[in-house]
Amino acid sequence: MFEIYLPIAELSVNLLVILGMGGAVGFLSGMFGVGGGFLMTPLLIFLGIPPAVAVATEANQIVASSVSGALAQWRRGNVDIKMGSVLLVGGIVGAVFGVQLVKLLREIGQVDLIISLSYVTFLGIIGALMLIESVRAIRRVKAGGPVSMRRPGQHNWIHGLPFKMRFKHSKLYISAIPPLMIGTFVGVLAAIMGVGGGFIMVPAMIYLLRMPTNVVVGTSLFQIIFVTAAVTILHSATNQTVDVLLALILMIGGVIGAQFGARAGQHLKGEQLRALLALMVLGVSLRLLFDLVIQPEELFSVGPALGGH
Amino acid sequence: MSWRNILAAIFVLWPMACAFAAVEGTEQIESDISSRNIAIESNFTGQRIVIFGTIENSQHSEFEKALYDVVVAIRGPKGTIVIRQKSRVAGIWVNTEAHTFANVPGYYAVLATRPLGEIAKLTVLNAYGLGFGSLNLRALGPNAAASAANGSLNVFRSAVVRIRQKEGLFSYKSDGVVFVGRNLFRATIDMPANVPVGQYATDVYLLRNGEILSHNRSQLKIQKQGFERFVFSAAFDHPLIYGIVAVIIAISAGLMASALTRRD
Repeated sequence: MFEIYLPIAELSVNLLVILGMGGAVGFLSGMFGVGGGFLMTPLLIFLGIPPAVAVATEANQIVASSVSGALAQWRRGNVDIKMGSVLLVGGIVGAVFGVQLVKLLREIGQVDLIISLSYVTFLGIIGALMLIESVRAIRRVKAGGPVSMRRPGQHNWIHGLPFKMRFKHSKLYISAIPPLMIGTFVGVLAAIMGVGGGFIMVPAMIYLLRMPTNVVVGTSLFQIIFVTAAVTILHSATNQTVDVLLALILMIGGVIGAQFGARAGQHLKGEQLRALLALMVLGVSLRLLFDLVIQPEELFSVGPALGGH
Repeated sequence: MSWRNILAAIFVLWPMACAFAAVEGTEQIESDISSRNIAIESNFTGQRIVIFGTIENSQHSEFEKALYDVVVAIRGPKGTIVIRQKSRVAGIWVNTEAHTFANVPGYYAVLATRPLGEIAKLTVLNAYGLGFGSLNLRALGPNAAASAANGSLNVFRSAVVRIRQKEGLFSYKSDGVVFVGRNLFRATIDMPANVPVGQYATDVYLLRNGEILSHNRSQLKIQKQGFERFVFSAAFDHPLIYGIVAVIIAISAGLMASALTRRD
């Protein structure tokens, strides 16, 4: 009952499990205001979906969730199209590079390792930083101090770079190089990890570019739509690893979960939310690290011969 | 001799020949499969197939026991595979060594009336490709010769068989074929959900005293059907269009979700 055969992943899974996973991750992303790709891709891998399929399919799902997220931000006027476009140019370059990298890694049999290592590294760093920051914030609140983290705008090394552009919406006059580089980096991550990359882009926009916080989320979602769309098309054309049936089930679960999550999130305090999210991110990172360090039961693995044979 | 005479001779001799064969003829095996076409659709969770058949011209009398042996071999489409071995590098487990093998069946099941080693000699089994030992996995690539020399290739060969067995794609049942009557036999096998698609051959061998008397082959086709087939062929035949459609679906889903949940 409820078993469903996935045409590209080529295995049979329980429909309710996938719907539930989509719903749970959707709930969390609604609550925390994050994309959820960094949770969903590892969950799909834990479930037995081949990592390359998990990454490409999750990119497809993120297209859907970022469209509805970006629209909500757009209505509130929180999208800096010009900044988003510069980030996007970089993102496309990164996506093209990342998808080719995945193709090469698949051929030499290292794709699973690199996906896991990327997750361990980025989730570990981001989770630890978030945890430290949110614990400090909670302490500060308890001590009765101000919650705000924002320091007044100050000049840093970024202002010394050439190719300056004016970003009216963000009230910035800075070089195009840093947003291009951030976009490229996030594009590569999207292709390798099946994430939108908001968890890298948002802090980078706040702390490196010093964009106003109100346009950060909308602008990053704007970029994520197009980058994950490009990643989906490129993975499909290069690696044939996008499972539309799986993506569709995840989208349905995600939409429903996000609704409940958004409501639940309103009742929690920001710094507590961040601490919770940080713990979850660290948990996923540790679980993946554990799988890499512990001696596997079976040291051998069989796969089809790809390319050049 | 005129045509008329030839025809007359055939008319007279044909029934005689048939009657002669019925009495003195050698044993023949005849068999069939419960399903010649297996469709993988969205509710596919594996498939049980039954191979059944009978021995023609059996010389089996009621007093003798187990005069004949029957071996059934089901072979899926062959392909080239890569097998990789992990070892510890800087504290984590990484694929380090790899070998490529050609002509590995995607599915291979052997069922017999009793253990293969008791039924026939290894030379006979190997000649007909019966048993995991007879698979004769051929290594490709530049490092194949060196590894064959130091014997490490055999470790990889047995790992291929072990992993495929774990996945349910290779199997051997020494009591998988049972005689229902004196000459009627049947064999049941459960194919898992992960069976590769393609053309399968089901070979049924009749043996007596370690020698193959007769052989019968039936074809079996496993293919994706309906929605599964549509998605799979779209993904591999038109990958670019498939990707664009996947994105359009996602954008529509996002717009729909946004329309449904908009409260202002």
